[in-house]
This record gives sequence, structure tokens and C-alpha cells, in this order.
Amino acid sequence: MKGFQQQELTSIIQIDRSSCKGCDSCKAFCPTSAITGKYGAVHSVDSEKCISCGQCLVNCPFGAPKDMVDPVDKVITKLKDGRVTVVATTAPAVRVAIGEAFGMEPGTLATEKLYGALKQAGFKLLDTNFAADQCIMEEGSELIAKIRHYVLGEAAQHHLGALPQFTSCCPAWVRYAELNYPQILDNLSSAKSPMMMAGALAKTYGAAKVWPTSPENMYVVGIMPCTAKKFEASRPEFASAATYWRKQGQAGNYPDVDTVLTTRDLARLLKKMNIDLAAVPEFTDQDNPLARYSGAGTIFGNTGGVMEAALRTAYFVITGQELAVLEFAPVRGLSGFKAASVTMKDAKTGKEVTLNVAVVHGIKENLTPVIDQVVAGKSPYQFIEVMNCPGGCVNGGGQPINPMGTSWLDKYKAMLPWS
Amino acid sequence: MARYDYVEKAVKVSRREFLGVLGVGAAVLWTGAYVATDLVQDRTKYIKLRAKALYLDDGKAKVRQSHNNAAVADVYKNFAEKPLSPLAEDLFHTRYVDRSKLGGLS
Repeated sequence: MKGFQQQELTSIIQIDRSSCKGCDSCKAFCPTSAITGKYGAVHSVDSEKCISCGQCLVNCPFGAPKDMVDPVDKVITKLKDGRVTVVATTAPAVRVAIGEAFGMEPGTLATEKLYGALKQAGFKLLDTNFAADQCIMEEGSELIAKIRHYVLGEAAQHHLGALPQFTSCCPAWVRYAELNYPQILDNLSSAKSPMMMAGALAKTYGAAKVWPTSPENMYVVGIMPCTAKKFEASRPEFASAATYWRKQGQAGNYPDVDTVLTTRDLARLLKKMNIDLAAVPEFTDQDNPLARYSGAGTIFGNTGGVMEAALRTAYFVITGQELAVLEFAPVRGLSGFKAASVTMKDAKTGKEVTLNVAVVHGIKENLTPVIDQVVAGKSPYQFIEVMNCPGGCVNGGGQPINPMGTSWLDKYKAMLPWS
Repeated sequence: MARYDYVEKAVKVSRREFLGVLGVGAAVLWTGAYVATDLVQDRTKYIKLRAKALYLDDGKAKVRQSHNNAAVADVYKNFAEKPLSPLAEDLFHTRYVDRSKLGGLS
């Protein structure tokens, strides 16, 4: 199979032949036209094109596309093995969707319940929101260094990528760019995604200072609203903790993130272990520094969230003052393409800097015009956020499907022609 | 003697068949439109509910900017020095591959 590195997962999304009715719904959601098959005939996924975003899976009326990677039993075995420290890193969008699988209303924020359930299952916790805050520090510093160099004309300290800078948190978008637009890879932020930062941090800082253990005995589980994260975790370059410890004289070969559970997988795992998320005692994990996160870290799961979080910090770093109003309305909401500009006064030089930013979600509909500008070298923006799924991670391919028949009556009423 | 010519009917569809085809066509269009709008509507409804909950989480947070997260500052103070330091580059940054050039995997 072309387009993969050694040991990467290649066929995460596959269509079940017996459930597919050939209705073409999936094709309407597939960002890469990776689904083949005539209308009425059984469809199949071309894995070389597929970016494993799972949009076909969450939108198929018949539930035909399947997530073929099922690590639930393996994770349960690790949890029951007393020698292994199992660390969960939970993405922002999981806490607002996991409740749906346990009969809670859609849109319930269930952070403490989720922490409680994970604790009962035996996980240690490194919230991905914490890593998202760290991601802003890295990615934001990178952006500011580029602006200081390219816009304000300061000398560069070390190698800098090109402007505009694209976000790199979305693994489906990263694979999409690597497959289709290799000429813009230098524009991608070199910062890892929050999940991968969490993995590297857990097995270095975490293993040394927070849960003292040997990094080899640590098992990091990403809990993600996303099927593409399963692909990302399998990329061979993500073994930086092992490299770090080898430099310190500790041999070993292990990935930064050992496996990934989607929100749906986590719901199955908890049910298998007889843990009812709706009934567990709430837990805040206050004493754990790696479970503390800012509001900026949690909005990473929404389209425009990474941008808003980055602006809050960039504004402070450049002007030396906090933003007066933190809610940045132009990048919120579901319109397909959002752009904004912020003018700031650089505290160091006294010059005015205008930062033009753009937000894209839904690669299928909205990416092409923005990326064509960048390829042509005519992009008016300095920072562009891209998320593959419409709406961002809250609508990821790993989220609960058709959640909550809150009322079967309402469901049938909705079918009446006059409703 | 009157001459009667037998003329084949111009339209070869009976009234009954015509209504039948029309009915089936309408039903097909109606179901299709219903399924399509229903899917899209439901989808955005869930997106909006979940997104709102995340903004709620942000709104009630005591610390709302990444640079004010004291635990992150501790990681830099005790471990990674500062953003973009050599250790931070090793652990928190990555590189990308041009997949159009990657050959076949068995």
C-alpha cells in the first residue's frame, strides 16, 4: 500500500459488505473521495486515499463503515496488570459527548463524571486539555518567532518554517496535506498535536516526577473523539520519550502513545467493566497538576478554538497585556470559512502588527480556496487553523453515533410530512 | 360507406399507469429529501450542543489563557526550560513526510 510509513495502521475505516446499501451518503461526507462503488452497489474504502477521519462512519444511515481497530480488551488487560501504570489522556471533545452513551442529555459537560469513571477503571490522568495549553505555548511561540522575523524584520534564532502557519493538531488534516499538498509542509506548525505532546510528556516528566515509574511500564491511552488519532499514534516518529531516555542511558523501545480509544470505544470499555458513568461519584483530581487546564485548552475541540486560544496568548506575549474581552466572536460558529484580523502594538519595538487569521473546518467544502492562495504565494493570512471535521472535534469520527433516542414519539412525529 | 381508420393511441400510457408512476416518483423524491434534511439537521444540532458545552467549560474556568496555567509553567520551570528550547524541540515538535513519494508497503 502506497503513502504509508513502516508500522503505520493502514486500513482503519472499512465498509461492512453486508450492511452497505450503496446509498452514496458516505460519499457526500468523504473529504478525499476515497469511497468507490456505484450507486446501489456495495461501496468500499480506498485506504491509500483515506485519511481515517471517520466522517462516513458517523453519517452513514446504515452503520456500514466500521472502525477496524479495537483496543478495548487490550486496555482492560493492561488496567488489570498491577505492574503497568496506565495513563489516560482525554481530549476536550470527549467530555461533552461521552454522556450521550450513558443516557445523559446531549451537550452535557461531564468532566468530573469522566474523571470519576476513569479513576474507577484504574487510569491515571493527564488531561489532553493540559497538553493543549502546552501546545499553545509551543505553537504560539513558533508563530510569534515567525512574525518577529518575517513581519518585523528581526534576526531569526534558529530555523523557522514559512508563513502562513497552519495548525497541526488535526491528524486527518496533516495526512491530507502530506498526501495532496506536500509543497506546503513547511507551513505546518512543527508543534505536535496535544495528544502526542501528552504522550511524550507522560513518559518523561510524568514517569520521572508525577507517577514515579519506569517509562517502559507506562501505557499511555489517548481517549479521543477521533478515528484518525489511531493512525497518528502509530506513526513511527512518535517515540521521542524512548529517544530521550536512551540519551540518559535507559534502553527501550516504546511509542509515546501506546493506543487510542475513541469516545465510543471508551463507552464500551466502561460498560464491559460495569462502570456506569452517569452513576459514578464525581472526581476533580485536584492534586494532580497534569489535570489542570485553562479555558483556552478546553475550546480546542471546537472549530476556531485553537485560533481563539492562540490569540489570547499571542496578544499577551506581543503587547504585554491581557485581552480585555476573551471571547473572540469572529472565529466562533459554524460558518464554513471564518477570517479575522487583530491589530496589536508590539511592546518591544512600539510598532503596530496586524495579524490576519483564518479558520477552516470541513476540508471537503472549505479548504480548496484557502490552500490555493497559499500554494500561489498570495495568502493574506499569517495563521490558518484547519480541522477536517465540520464543526471541529466535537463532531469527530470517533464520537457517539445517533445518540439518545430521547423520545421515540418525537422521532416518529418528525417523520410526518407537516412537521 | 363511412371509412373508419384505426389510429394507434399517441400516448401509450393509461391514466392508471400515469398516476402510478407519478405517485412512486413523488414518494421517492419525498423520502430522499426527508432523509437528506433529517441527517444534516440532526448533525448540526449535536455539533451545536457539544460546542456550547465546551464554551461553557471555558466560561466557568478560573484560568482562561494557556500562559496563565501554572502547571504548564511548572513543566517549563522544572523540566523543559522554555518553549522551543532544545529539549522542547525534541519532545514536543515533529516533522512531516511527503507521502506522495512514499512507495509501496507490503
